[in-house]
Amino acid sequence: MFEKTLSDLIQGLRANKRNEAEYIQRSLEEIQREVQQSDMRCKSAAVDKLNYLHMLGYDMNWASFNVVEVMASPRFGEKRTGYLAAAQSFNQETDVLMLVTNLIRKDLAAPSAMEVGLALDGLAQTATAELAADLFDDVLAVLGHPRACVRKKAVVCLYRLVQRHPEGLPALVPQLKERLDDPDPSVVSAAVGVVCELARTDPRSYLPLAPKLYHLLTTLTNNWILIKIVNLFAALAPIEPRLARKLHGPLSRLVTTTSAMSLLYECIHTAVVGDVIGVPLPVPDAIGRETDFAELCAQKLEVFYQSRDHNLRYVGLVTLARLQARRPDLVAGQYATVLACLDDPDLSIRMRAIEVVAAMTTRKTLVGTVNHIVAQLARSSTVALHPAGPAALMAAGSAPAAAEGDLPQTDAHGTSLVSAQGAIAAPKRDCADPADSPEYRLAAVEAIAGMCSRESYGNMVDFEWYVATLADLVYVAGVDVDRLLSERLLDVTVRVRQVRRFSVAVARRLLADARLAGRAAADGANAATLATAAYILGEYCPLLPAEPDDATLLLLPPGLASLSDDQQAVFVQAAAKAYTNWLRDVAGDWSADAWEAVRSVTASIQRTLAQIFFPDGAAGTSGDAVARLAAGLPLQAGCRLRQLAEIIKTVSVATSNLGDAAPPVCAELHALFTMYELNPVSAAAQGKVPVPEGLDLDAPIGDPIPDTSHKVLPPPPPPPPPAAAAQLHQRGSRHDRGSGDRAAHRARENDPFYLGGAAHGAARELPDVDDIPVMALDLGDKPRSSGGGGGGSKKAKKAKKKHRRDRPRTPSPPPPAVDIAGDEDVPEAPPA
Amino acid sequence: MIRFILVQNRQGKTRLEKWYGGYTEQERQKLKAEVHRTVASRDQKHQSNFVEFHNNRIVYRRYAGLFFCFCIDTNDNELSCLEAIHLFVEVLDAYHGNVCELDLVFNFYWVYAVLDEMFLAGEIQETSRSVILARMDQLGNLE
Repeated sequence: MFEKTLSDLIQGLRANKRNEAEYIQRSLEEIQREVQQSDMRCKSAAVDKLNYLHMLGYDMNWASFNVVEVMASPRFGEKRTGYLAAAQSFNQETDVLMLVTNLIRKDLAAPSAMEVGLALDGLAQTATAELAADLFDDVLAVLGHPRACVRKKAVVCLYRLVQRHPEGLPALVPQLKERLDDPDPSVVSAAVGVVCELARTDPRSYLPLAPKLYHLLTTLTNNWILIKIVNLFAALAPIEPRLARKLHGPLSRLVTTTSAMSLLYECIHTAVVGDVIGVPLPVPDAIGRETDFAELCAQKLEVFYQSRDHNLRYVGLVTLARLQARRPDLVAGQYATVLACLDDPDLSIRMRAIEVVAAMTTRKTLVGTVNHIVAQLARSSTVALHPAGPAALMAAGSAPAAAEGDLPQTDAHGTSLVSAQGAIAAPKRDCADPADSPEYRLAAVEAIAGMCSRESYGNMVDFEWYVATLADLVYVAGVDVDRLLSERLLDVTVRVRQVRRFSVAVARRLLADARLAGRAAADGANAATLATAAYILGEYCPLLPAEPDDATLLLLPPGLASLSDDQQAVFVQAAAKAYTNWLRDVAGDWSADAWEAVRSVTASIQRTLAQIFFPDGAAGTSGDAVARLAAGLPLQAGCRLRQLAEIIKTVSVATSNLGDAAPPVCAELHALFTMYELNPVSAAAQGKVPVPEGLDLDAPIGDPIPDTSHKVLPPPPPPPPPAAAAQLHQRGSRHDRGSGDRAAHRARENDPFYLGGAAHGAARELPDVDDIPVMALDLGDKPRSSGGGGGGSKKAKKAKKKHRRDRPRTPSPPPPAVDIAGDEDVPEAPPA
Repeated sequence: MIRFILVQNRQGKTRLEKWYGGYTEQERQKLKAEVHRTVASRDQKHQSNFVEFHNNRIVYRRYAGLFFCFCIDTNDNELSCLEAIHLFVEVLDAYHGNVCELDLVFNFYWVYAVLDEMFLAGEIQETSRSVILARMDQLGNLE
């Protein structure tokens, strides 16, 4: 039967472009038959074809045994086919690799240099740890082969073997040293390359090779080897300071004389990274003047990043970033050029340029740079949102009218005005605008944040401009930098007192933007920023100019219920602050209309709350109803909502009787929130607070919750008095965790599935099963979880929830924490 | 160290692949697709030949309809890698005489042999054109 050769297969493929998959299927079946045959030529032709199909993406692992058979063929061509197939398709898990050990060993000892070379090639590609261990010594022996090409392959192959079999390294290193003296330059080059790679992970052990390498550096002229050696010295020089001095001579000679860009680049790179430029020896430059090596490097580097070749620009910028770290003075003069690189159409160049620029901004250049970047981001066609209001977002003192539908311009302050209308027409580009790429945008926003807040705002002159820029970035960023922006906004507002007034105005505008709120409700975008804006608005609302108050209603947007729990809490708390602030203002200016005003505003707030949190109209608008249903909300939001409801109730009660003077409660409520000024606290401060005498944080607060790992639910523990409940909330979760942990701990002890585990702390009582009274509880549709340690504590939690809903509303003990992993106090029982 | 070498045409078909480093089959397929996406959309005139790719760099060059992509570590010299690509193409050209894509397709094992002569285990092994060509002649005589 005529078997198809490789060429036939390929021609057939090209002829059958339409039904390629079928044709390949048929060929695969033929190949399957062919590899089973005993004729070696047939087999190897089949393996050839398989090779080709493998490149197209078809799996050939089913034929690995046949591949090994072909590898063992005495004919060179077939052997080559087999080795190639092995190199392409074998991976670490292929079983047949064990069979090839002896085969390769035989080939390594073959008389023909070609076969040895072939075996080395194949071994380098397919080496596993076992193969490497077995064949290491054989390959070491080959290092002495008379043919240079074999030696060179052996050197490189040994590197690969040593990666899989690190114990061979001590035997390898002295051999490598010898190879560095080899008469053949390619062997030397291979050896240098291997030393280079090895030295990356462990430079110190290769320091003894330095003198030899230095000798090579000064004597060889082959650029490739020189590049490798210089690269190697870049790894060695940082750990051996004397090397820098020695390298100064040859490196400076190379830098001044060489014409090969790659070598020049490598020398400068090494000079910078290895701090050779720190050596204060003078160097004669091109025209014979004596100059500092560092300046010489900087000059040469200019050629790179000012060239029109993008490759050179890229590598120039990479090295410039390194140079910037060591000698900022040399780089400072290049500001304009680097800024121009920010506009380069190549993304990689831009990312590098951002790195350099971010490091080299000064007080004078900061504003210009940031505006440049923000304008870039705004111009790009993937801008997510555009500010809706007619006034420009950043009116830094001036009130410019935004040009409608125009491209962004910059006004006298240097702040850019983003169009009020829809999409900004982006200029047409041939290639993708790099400003569209999310990596770039993320890097840009992070760079801006970093630049501005460096050295606690050392470079900042105009804080209001900074706040305005941050707000702009909310619209323009297009990537998820929500958390970063919100942190920065909060940081600058809290730390810099003077900017608070402006900040509050900006926060108000952000909250008033219906589109932002809508997006936050829909998919959580910018939610953190809005929460921060809410906090700022609430905390500093006395700084707002007195006007018809909508701050409170702004802080209760319709989409509030879909935000996360702690964000909701922030909003509600801020609403409470704003409401009491308004009350205080009104109380100071009491008049007959004030009653009505207070009552109507209070009612509208109640309505809004009811609408947000209980949209199905379940609550009435009375404070009690709201507060009762707030118990069903997640913890923090519910807590804040109850608080606000109490405040509203108090005010309603106080204003229910008309009087001439303002009820004192109106004026005093705001003081709840302003008793202490909140300052930024360091992260370690909490740990330094000394625990007062006599306070035992580990003592349980209430009665311990009995073990519930049995099927029958015991009666609930008695609730602690309400005053304690209020304290509970304030003292945070530590106590809760204490008692909860204990309960879960006890559950685990009694759980038959947990091994061992010493109990901690209080005496345990194993409740006797018969003593527990059987209670008929209406559990309804609640599924019972059975078994496992987690079941015990889950049950306890379910029991808790059930009780909370049924009993009249009294504060209930906090639910036991199910997840104890993070707590350090209680040692965990080792799991089964 | 070179992580992998890929030669792909403009439609994304791989004409040559060599992986230095333990990549599984799925990783290989994914990487091939990703490299093609990254490289094919770049503009030769305005952009450099270096792309950041995961934690490495891709140095690529386009010759007629083929992209030669080398993925190297970040601390390798990109310019010398570019030269190595050019050397490789020159050697192929000298060996086949005016090599085109079809030659690569039909004689792919020769191409692999040349590749193995020049690069081994992720390192540039041989940089002298004459030496490589001499060896290829020797190999040819053995056939």
